[in-house]
Amino acid sequence: MIRLAPLAALCLSSTTLLAQLPADLARERAAYAEWLATAANSPYLAVAQQPIGPGLRIGPAGSDLPLEGVPEQRITQQGAIVALEGPGGRRVLPRHRPVTLGRFTVVAGGTPGRGVLAVFAPREHRETPAYYPHSPTVVFEGPLVPADTPRTLRILAPDGVDVEATEAGTVVVPIGGVATSLRVMRIPDPGTGESELEIFFRDGTNGRGTYPAGRFVSLVPAGPGRWRLDFNRARNPFCAYSTAYACPAPWRGNAIPIPVEAGERYEAK
Amino acid sequence: MRLISLLLAGSLLGATASPASRAPAAPAGSWRAVLDLAGGPLRFTLEITGAGTRLAGRICNGERCEPVSGVRLRGDSLDIEIADYAATIRARIDGDSLSGLYRNVGNRGPRVIPIRAARGRWPVERAPAGMLGRWDATFTTDGRTSPRVIELRNGPRGMEGTFIANTGDYGHFWGRAAADSFSLSHFDGSFVYMITGRLDGDTLRGIFHAGLRTQTLWTAVRSTGRQHLRRPTEMTQADTTAPFRFAFPDLSGRMVTNEDPRFRGKVVLVDVFGTWCPTCHEAAPMLTRLWRDYHARGLEIVGLAYEVSGDSAVDGALVRRYREKFAVPFPLLLAGINDVEAAAQTLPQLTGFTSFPTSIFLGRDGRVRRVHAGFYGPSTGTMHEAQVADFRRMIEQLLDER
Repeated sequence: MIRLAPLAALCLSSTTLLAQLPADLARERAAYAEWLATAANSPYLAVAQQPIGPGLRIGPAGSDLPLEGVPEQRITQQGAIVALEGPGGRRVLPRHRPVTLGRFTVVAGGTPGRGVLAVFAPREHRETPAYYPHSPTVVFEGPLVPADTPRTLRILAPDGVDVEATEAGTVVVPIGGVATSLRVMRIPDPGTGESELEIFFRDGTNGRGTYPAGRFVSLVPAGPGRWRLDFNRARNPFCAYSTAYACPAPWRGNAIPIPVEAGERYEAK
Repeated sequence: MRLISLLLAGSLLGATASPASRAPAAPAGSWRAVLDLAGGPLRFTLEITGAGTRLAGRICNGERCEPVSGVRLRGDSLDIEIADYAATIRARIDGDSLSGLYRNVGNRGPRVIPIRAARGRWPVERAPAGMLGRWDATFTTDGRTSPRVIELRNGPRGMEGTFIANTGDYGHFWGRAAADSFSLSHFDGSFVYMITGRLDGDTLRGIFHAGLRTQTLWTAVRSTGRQHLRRPTEMTQADTTAPFRFAFPDLSGRMVTNEDPRFRGKVVLVDVFGTWCPTCHEAAPMLTRLWRDYHARGLEIVGLAYEVSGDSAVDGALVRRYREKFAVPFPLLLAGINDVEAAAQTLPQLTGFTSFPTSIFLGRDGRVRRVHAGFYGPSTGTMHEAQVADFRRMIEQLLDER
C-alpha cells in the first residue's frame, strides 16, 4: 500500500527545531489573521449568506435581507448575471468581488443560476484564530493515489458556497499507528483559475477543542508527484467564524480515529 | 551564479545590520526579484523610478513591463499597490536586498507568497537550439487531459515564450535555461504563472505552476504542423439567420446599436474585450491599424467592453483610459462584466463563447460571417503574423462583397 510517510522520521532528527513554527506557516497565519481582522469581507463580519434563487428583496425591515439604512432594492439572477435593481437603476454585480452597499459589503458568489449572496456588516471584531502548539509528528509526505475515474461532485467549499469539485484521489496516513485513508478533492477558486487539493476531515478533537463539523487541510506540493500533508495547517470552515455560513457536511470516510491536536482550534462561545 | 548570490542575500536578511542598511532606503533602480512558490522560485524584475513621494514602479517579465498603480516608501518599508488586482507587495529594503510578501486577496482569504530581491538585472540565459520552436503539449489534471501549444525562443533578455490553450494564450513568459532544463514565468501582479520543463530525449516534460500551490503535469512533443488545438474560428458558433444584434451604452451613456446608420451596409468587426485582459491590450494596436487601413473602404469596428465592477462610472473610467492609451478611433461600449458566463448571456446569438478577446466579423448584411476566439499576441511569433494576415484577408473579402 502506498502511504504518506511521517516527515519527522524521514528527514529531520531534531524535534526541537521542528517544534518551532516554520517560517512559511507563521507568515500564512499572520496574513490570515490580518485578513480576518481587517477585511470588509472577513468571515467574522458575515451576517447573512443566502441563495439568491428567483430574487431577494433587500433593504428595509421585513425584506428577505433587512439591511438598515439601505433603500429597498432587489438582487436578481438570470443565469450568470446577478444584478442589483433599485432607485438608482439596474447594476450588474461582478461575481466573487466585494461591493459596498451603504455600510454593508456584499459578495455574489456561487455558480450560474445558483448564486449565493454573502452580506458583511462592519463591527468591532478582535477575534484572532487560535492554534494548537506546532506538532512535528503530524507532518506527512508522499504520493497522492489518483482516483480511478475522477468524478465531479457538488460540495460546499470552506466558505459555505457550493462548487463543482473533482475527486483528486486519496492519501494514506499512518497517524496514531493506524493507516487512515483520506479522500482528497480539488476545489476550484473562482476567478483565479487556481485550485486547492483539500481534505475535509473529522478527528477525536471535534467538539473538544476543534470545530464540531470538522476541519479542512490543504495538500502542499513537495516535489514532482509528492505532497505534504501537515495537520498544523488544519483550519476551520467559515461557519466556525459566523453562524451566517452554511457548514459543509462531513465527507464520507475521512474520520481519523484519534485526536489530531494540531492546527486551528475552536472554543464554543 | 547570480542566483546563488541572491539566495544568500535573501537568507541573510535581518541577520545583521550592514552599514548600508543605516542609510536612508533608496528603492530606485532595477531589482531582480523572486516569488517563492511551493514548486520553486519564479523570477521577474521590479523596476522602481523616482524618489521621495514621487515613486513609480513596473513589473517586468523580460522586456515586457506593466506599471503598478502605486509605490510608497515609509522608512525602509516599500509598499507597492497593484490596485486593479487588489494585490500588494510589502517589503523591507536592507541595503541592496529586499524581502517581504506579495498578497492577493480573495474571498477565502489572502494568497500570500514570499518575495525577495537584490539590486541589479537578471543575466541573459539562452536556451539551446534543441529546446526552441513549437511544441504540442498535453496538460493532465486529475486524469483529464487538455491540449496546449508551447512556443519557445530566445529573445534579447534571454529565453522567452508563451503557451496557448484552446481559449487563448497565457501572455508573455520569460526566464532561463540551464543544460536540458528551463523555467519561464509570467507575473503581472495578479496571474502568477510559471512553467518548468526538461528535455528528455525528444520529449519535453514539466510542471505548470499557477499561484502558490496549483501544479499541473505536462508533456510535449515537437509540433508536426498538424492542428493540435481547436481552430480559433471553430470555438464559437453564431446564429447566421439574422443580423447580429447589440445594444449597449457608449462612454457618454448614449445607446449604440447594430441598427445605427453608421453600421448600415458596412463590414463590421465587433471586438469583445476588457481593459483587464492583457491579450486584449495586445490586440488593440492591430485593431486600430485595421480601422485606419480599411475604414475609408467601409470597415467599422465597435468594441464591447466587459469590465470588472458593473458600476458604469468606474468601468467607464477604465475604458476611457484604454481608449486614450491606444488612441482608439472607433466606439467602445459598456457591455457588461468580465465574467465569461455572464458575458455570453449578453450575446445570445453566440454559442460556445469562451474567450476575451473574441472578434466577430459581420458582412455588409449585418450577419455573422466568422467568430474568432482569442488572439495570438506578438509573443506567439508566426502564429501572430498568420492571424493578422488572416484578419486582413477576411476584411478585404467582406469589403469586396457587394
